[in-house]
Amino acid sequence: MLKIIIPTIMLIPTTTMCKPTQLWYTTLIHSMLISLLSLQLFYPSLQPIMNFSNHNLQQNQTSTPLIILSCWLTPLMILASQNHLSTEPLSRKRTFIITTIILQMLLIMTFSTTDLIMFFVLFEATLIPTLMMITRWGNQMERLNAGTYFLFYTLMGSLPLLVALLSLYSNTNSLSILTMQLSPTMLKNTWTNSMWLLAALTAFMIKMPLYGLHLWLPKAHVEAPIAGSMILAAILLKLGGYGIIRIMSTTNFLSKTPYYPFMILALWGIIMTSLICLRQTDLKSLIAYSPVSHMGLVTAATLTQTEWAYTGAITLMIAHGLTSSLLFCLANTKLRRIHSRTLLLTQNMQLLLPLMGTWWLLASLTNMALPPTINLMGELTIITSLFNWSNTTIIITGLGTLITATYTLHMFSSTQWGELPQHIKIMTPSHTREHLIMTLHILPMMLLMMKPELIWGPLYC
Amino acid sequence: MGWSVAYWLKCLETRKGALQVAVIEKDPTYSKASTVLSVGGIRQQFSLPENVQMSLYSAFFLRTINEHLGVVNEPPIDIQFNPLGYLFLASEDGAAILEENVHVQRDQGAKVSLLSPTQLKKKYPWLNTDGVAVASYGLENEGWFDPWALLHAFKRKAISMGVYSCHGEVTSFTTSSTELLTPERELTLSRINYVHVQMPNSLENQPVECSLVVNAAGCWSGKLAEMAGVGIGSPNTQDEIKLPVEPRKRYVYVWHCPDGPGLACPTVIDTTGTYFRREGIGGNYLGGLSPTEEEEPDIQDLKVDHSFFQEKIWPKLAHRVPVFESLKVRSAWAGYYDYNTFDQNAVLGSHPLVENMFFITGFSGHGLQHSPAAGRAMAELILEGKFKTICMEKFSFNRFITGEPALERNII
Repeated sequence: MLKIIIPTIMLIPTTTMCKPTQLWYTTLIHSMLISLLSLQLFYPSLQPIMNFSNHNLQQNQTSTPLIILSCWLTPLMILASQNHLSTEPLSRKRTFIITTIILQMLLIMTFSTTDLIMFFVLFEATLIPTLMMITRWGNQMERLNAGTYFLFYTLMGSLPLLVALLSLYSNTNSLSILTMQLSPTMLKNTWTNSMWLLAALTAFMIKMPLYGLHLWLPKAHVEAPIAGSMILAAILLKLGGYGIIRIMSTTNFLSKTPYYPFMILALWGIIMTSLICLRQTDLKSLIAYSPVSHMGLVTAATLTQTEWAYTGAITLMIAHGLTSSLLFCLANTKLRRIHSRTLLLTQNMQLLLPLMGTWWLLASLTNMALPPTINLMGELTIITSLFNWSNTTIIITGLGTLITATYTLHMFSSTQWGELPQHIKIMTPSHTREHLIMTLHILPMMLLMMKPELIWGPLYC
Repeated sequence: MGWSVAYWLKCLETRKGALQVAVIEKDPTYSKASTVLSVGGIRQQFSLPENVQMSLYSAFFLRTINEHLGVVNEPPIDIQFNPLGYLFLASEDGAAILEENVHVQRDQGAKVSLLSPTQLKKKYPWLNTDGVAVASYGLENEGWFDPWALLHAFKRKAISMGVYSCHGEVTSFTTSSTELLTPERELTLSRINYVHVQMPNSLENQPVECSLVVNAAGCWSGKLAEMAGVGIGSPNTQDEIKLPVEPRKRYVYVWHCPDGPGLACPTVIDTTGTYFRREGIGGNYLGGLSPTEEEEPDIQDLKVDHSFFQEKIWPKLAHRVPVFESLKVRSAWAGYYDYNTFDQNAVLGSHPLVENMFFITGFSGHGLQHSPAAGRAMAELILEGKFKTICMEKFSFNRFITGEPALERNII
C-alpha cells in the first residue's frame, strides 16, 4: 500500500519543483505510472489468502477496484484540466494539480483503511480539496452556492455518523473492520439500534445521493470545473456506497424495518430523477442527474445485503464511475468550443466532429447499460437481487431502465443530429489530448468486460 | 428590437428555460432611442415582398397583442392603435412605380386600393390634386400606435419569461480568432467570448461570458459592430467591410390647424416626400420630410432646426393642402433613423466572419413597425438555423460583400 501512497505524496514536491514547461506532462506521466503500479493491487484479490504487512492499511475486494479507479482518474483529471487552466498563472496551475493529488491521496487512504474512525476522518477530509476545486476554479457565480450546498449537506450527515461511530467504540472498544465482524453487536431489535443505523447511514445516503437528499449534486457537478466533475461523479459518490457496504457488513444488523424508508426513497428516486433528466435543458445538468438514478439502484441493492446485491453494487459503481466521468469530459469538449451548456445551441455535432461522435455513441451506449458492458452486468445483477427481495420492485427498476435509455438517447440525438447551428462557422478540431482522455476512459471498460471478476467484490459466486 | 428578439427567443424555445437571454441597455429611459421618438406608423405599402409580409404579421401581432404579450395579473396593454391608411401620392413619373408596388403588395395579401385624381378629390376635398397622377391607399392593417406601449409590453413580457435585463454600456468584446486558408486569400474568423459591460456611473467593467451576441443597437450598431472587429481590417479584404448603419437625424413637427383636414385625414405622403398625419382629435397634425443627402443635419444632438420647417416643409404642405397655409407650429422633436447607407433596408442575419454576432438593425425608419416580425425571424434563425415563416435571406449581411442592394423604393 505504501508503495502507492508515498509516490502520490511525493508528487506534490514534484509539482512545485519541476520546470514550468514540463509541468503538465511530468505530473501526467508520473500519475499514470502510479496508476499502473496500483493495478498490481488486483493480484491478492485472486488468491484465497491475503497477507498484509500493515494492520491499518489493507484492502479487500470491495475497496481494490475503487482504489484503482481513483488512481486511474488522476491522470485523466490532469489531462482534462489542461485546457481551461492554460490562461492561469503558473502558481495557480501548480496549486490546482496539488489539490488533485491531495484528493487522490486522501481517497486511496479512505478506501484502504481498516479503522472506521480513520475512514470517517478521511471521508470528511476529501471534502476540503473538492470544495477548493469547485469554488475556486468553477465557472459561474453560482459555484459559491454550490460549494455551500455540497459542504453542508455532507457535514449535516456526518455529525450523526461520528456520534454513531463513537457509541459503537464505547460498546466494542475497537473499530477495526477486521475484528468487528466477529464481535456480536446490534443483535437486539431495539429503537436505539434503529436510531444508530439511521445515524450511521445518513452521511452515506447523502453522499450517494439518495433521492430526497440529492439537491447538492446537480449544483456541485454543474458548477465544478471538469476535473471536479469527473472526480465527484466517479469516486466521491462511490464513497457513500463503499461506506454503506462497510457498515452493513461489519455490524450484523438484525431488524429490517429501518431499511424501508431508504429503500423506498432509493427506488422512487430512480424513476423521478430519470424523468427529471428528460426535462433538462442544460447538458451538464442532465449528465449530473443521471448518477442519482444509478446510485439509487446501488443504494437499494446494498440495503438488501445479499451476495448478488453486493456484487452488482460494486460492479455498477465502477462502471458508472467510468461512464459518468466520460460523459462529463465529452460535455466539456463541447463547452470549451461553444461557451454554452444549452442543449439547443449544440446540435448536429456529428457533422463537425465525427470522431467525437463515436465517443458520444459509446458513452451513451454504456450509460444505457447496453450488453455486454459492465454497466449491464451491474444493473442486471442488482435488478435480479431486488426482484428476489420483493417481486414488485421489477416494475420500478424496469421502468427506470426504460427511462434511462430514453433520456440517454435524447441527449445523444440532440447533440449529434438536428439543425446545424448558425453561430458555429468554424470549430477547432478535436485535440489528440481529448481523444486520449476518451480512450483512457473506454479502455478499462472494454478490458473489464473481458474479466469482470476483478470488480465483482468479495462475495461473488 | 432587442426586447422583441428576447421575447421571441423565449417564446420559441423548445423547453422552458432552455436559453439564458440578457438584454443590455445603455439608457433605460430611452431618451435618444429611435423607438420612442418614432412617429409610430405602420404601413403595408412597401415595394419588397418581405417588407410587406413583415408589416402584415406585425399588424396581426398588434391587433392580438394581449394574447401575445399579456402578463398574468398585470393590466392589459393598450397599444392605442389608430387605424387609418397611408395615402401615397404619385406624380406622372412615379405613377408606374406606384402601380407596380401596389401589384406586389396585393400579391402578398395586403389590401391596397388605387385612386385616380377625381376619386381623390371626392374622398378628400381638402386635398389639392395638382400634379398627382395616381394615389394608393391602404385599406387595412395600417395606422399608427404608441411606440412606448409596444416597447414596454415587450420588455414586461420578456422579463416575466425570464430574460435578464442589464443596465450598462457595452464597451468592448473579447474575441478569439482562427485563421483559415482558402485558395483566394486568408480569412480570419473570430468568435466573441466575452462582452464587457460598463456599469452606469462607474468605472467598473463586467465581462459577461456569452455564446451569441445580437446587435440590436439601432443607430449605434455600426459602432458596436466595430468593437467586434467588423470593418476594421486590411483593405480589400472581407474584414474591411463595415456595417453601413449610421444615425441620421430626422425632425418631426406638430402643428395646429383648426380648419384642417379633420378626423378622416390619413397619413399622406406627398410626391415630394413630405408626410403628415392627424395627431389626436384637437386639430393637431404632425409631419416631416427626409432631407436630401446634402442637407443632412448634424447628428451630435437632438436639437430641432425650425427653419427647416419654414423653408422646406411648409411650402410643400401649403401646396398640397391649401388650408395649411395658416398653421401654428406647436412643438417639434428630433430622432435618429438607424440609416442603412447601402440600401436603406434591414440588416438581419449573422456576420460571415464574426461567427456569433447577429445583426438586426438598419431598418432606416421602419424598424418599429417591423419589430415583431423581425424579432421572430431572428429567433427562428438562432434556434432553428433557418427562417421558417418569412424568408429574410435578402437582408443578410452578405449583400454588402457581394454588392447587391435590396432596394426599397417606398422610403419616407
